Amino acid sequence: MINGLETSSPALLPMGFVDLLPAEAEAEARGLAEVMEVFSCHGYERVRPPLLEFEGSLLSGAGEALAEQSFRLLDPSSHRMMALRPDMTTQIARIAAVRMQDCPRPLRLSYAGDCVVIGTLGREGQRQIAQAGIELIGPDRAEADAEVIALGAEALARLGIANVSFDLSMPVMVWSLIDGSFSGIERESIIHALDRRDASAVREHGGAWAELLLGMMEAVGPASAALEKLEKLAFPDMLRPHVERLEADVVAILARLPGARLTVDPVDFRGWRYHTGVCITVFAMHSREELGRGGRYLAGDEPACGLTLNPHAFLRVAEKPKRRKRCLVPSIMAVEDLSSLHEAGYATIASLGESGDMEQEAHHLRCSHIWKDGKPVALAR
Amino acid sequence: MTDMQAKTPLILALPKGRILKALRPVLHHTGFEPAQDCLDESSRRLRFPTSSPGLDVVRVRSFDVATFVAYGGADIGVCGADVLLEFDYPDLYAPLDLGIGGCRIAVARPKGSGDGEPPEGRSRLRVATKYPAIARRHFASRAINAEIVHLHGAMELAPALDMADVIVDLVDTGSTLRANGLEEVETIAHVTSRLIVNRIALKTRPEEVGSLIERFRSAVAQSVQKGESV
Repeated sequence: MINGLETSSPALLPMGFVDLLPAEAEAEARGLAEVMEVFSCHGYERVRPPLLEFEGSLLSGAGEALAEQSFRLLDPSSHRMMALRPDMTTQIARIAAVRMQDCPRPLRLSYAGDCVVIGTLGREGQRQIAQAGIELIGPDRAEADAEVIALGAEALARLGIANVSFDLSMPVMVWSLIDGSFSGIERESIIHALDRRDASAVREHGGAWAELLLGMMEAVGPASAALEKLEKLAFPDMLRPHVERLEADVVAILARLPGARLTVDPVDFRGWRYHTGVCITVFAMHSREELGRGGRYLAGDEPACGLTLNPHAFLRVAEKPKRRKRCLVPSIMAVEDLSSLHEAGYATIASLGESGDMEQEAHHLRCSHIWKDGKPVALAR
Repeated sequence: MTDMQAKTPLILALPKGRILKALRPVLHHTGFEPAQDCLDESSRRLRFPTSSPGLDVVRVRSFDVATFVAYGGADIGVCGADVLLEFDYPDLYAPLDLGIGGCRIAVARPKGSGDGEPPEGRSRLRVATKYPAIARRHFASRAINAEIVHLHGAMELAPALDMADVIVDLVDTGSTLRANGLEEVETIAHVTSRLIVNRIALKTRPEEVGSLIERFRSAVAQSVQKGESV
């Protein structure tokens, strides 16, 4: 019934926060474990930074870009303002620069955890977001960029996600054109026009760079064709190295991962603004979300490249893990029998003796099997 | 991989009404012949095949085209820049100005009201409009908190019936304004129709979506050459 006075249920959660129920929560935990295992196999050691940090440390340096997405709260004991992390990359950068500064480079670190973002007004999206990622700190080479992408590809392949593609961009090119020539409202207009790839607005607001920016906008698509178009544009000398790096990256990625689906979008500058070089966005054919993001940035003053996958997005297109068969067992049972059932993939549900009829109890507890005469027996439906 | 691509056609969202009419010559030059009843507004069907098996058309309200494409229900669409300004979806790209359906979003008020003083003279203003976001942004940039009266049509009535001080609406020739005793005082934006593309579709099916954009681009050029567009 629609009633103007209807009050929201006390069980209503704040916008953007959800309960994950058994099937989803288990899929998330298993998916994350698979991805982290891939990272670990390639020598990326896991670290775990805290959820909360003082505002001054979380949001300084590269973290400045996170300020407008961070929830803050006051620490009652120190009376200092703290911020809830909206992203973990800058925390890893801090760990690398401060606690692990003496470890030999390249330093390979991995991490997984939840972050909280404020989100965008009027667009209901998830605000608690999971992250699983890697950071490769030290080398500034195309081979390092390729390694990060190759690992992302392997992790997603492990989850059975098909038709993954990597979109490469170089936001510094756009930012250096904009920062050098636009200010105030003009700057905002051209940024908005470029972000929405609004060709006629770019022509209107692009000033001296309009032709170049429109050329860059058209040089979008499969990597080889896009790079060919980029090559022909009249870039100022200071931007040439970025174009060359983009080309070197494509070569390095294809060498490490032949057959990778690569696209290039030289105008893309979405995402956190701490990136200083090539940026990567991960897509899959059957997903309408970004599966991950990453790129080159400075960890302190060291070059670094990372990739953060978004488990909520990739699990929606991953193969669903098979749910365990459930077998009702007596509460007292030989340990060997229990472990043989576990090894065979069963979840054992112990009957605590509340009901006399085991079979009825098995149905009641959603069991598919029951322990009978020393073996699991399938229940008739 | 290519199998999957072949199985799901791209979806083009077209708006009913004014823009659809203006779009006909361009659509003709693209070579995609939509099913007979697609351009016939009286048809009840909403989804139509085209002469290309890789492309289907859906026909929706012009205000909804942007939403269909932003949420990925359609991969590509045609809609007025006014709708893009209003919704400002981050997942929409507008790579091509179709040059059709030209008009403007303007502020209008009763003739002779305010004695020539601009609406900026006041710090609050009641505005009747179907573009709440555009109106709010526009007046905020002039330090005015606009109180929005959200209507879906006939806003020209609002000032005369004392519901609002001004209206913000799409103006083509201005004859509706004049017929209702209103005068245009300011243009907020010039509007033409745009080809819009879902960002994720462009990234995940770059070849197909890219070639669609190119077909529209050359269709627009042909149409302009023949003097069909205004």
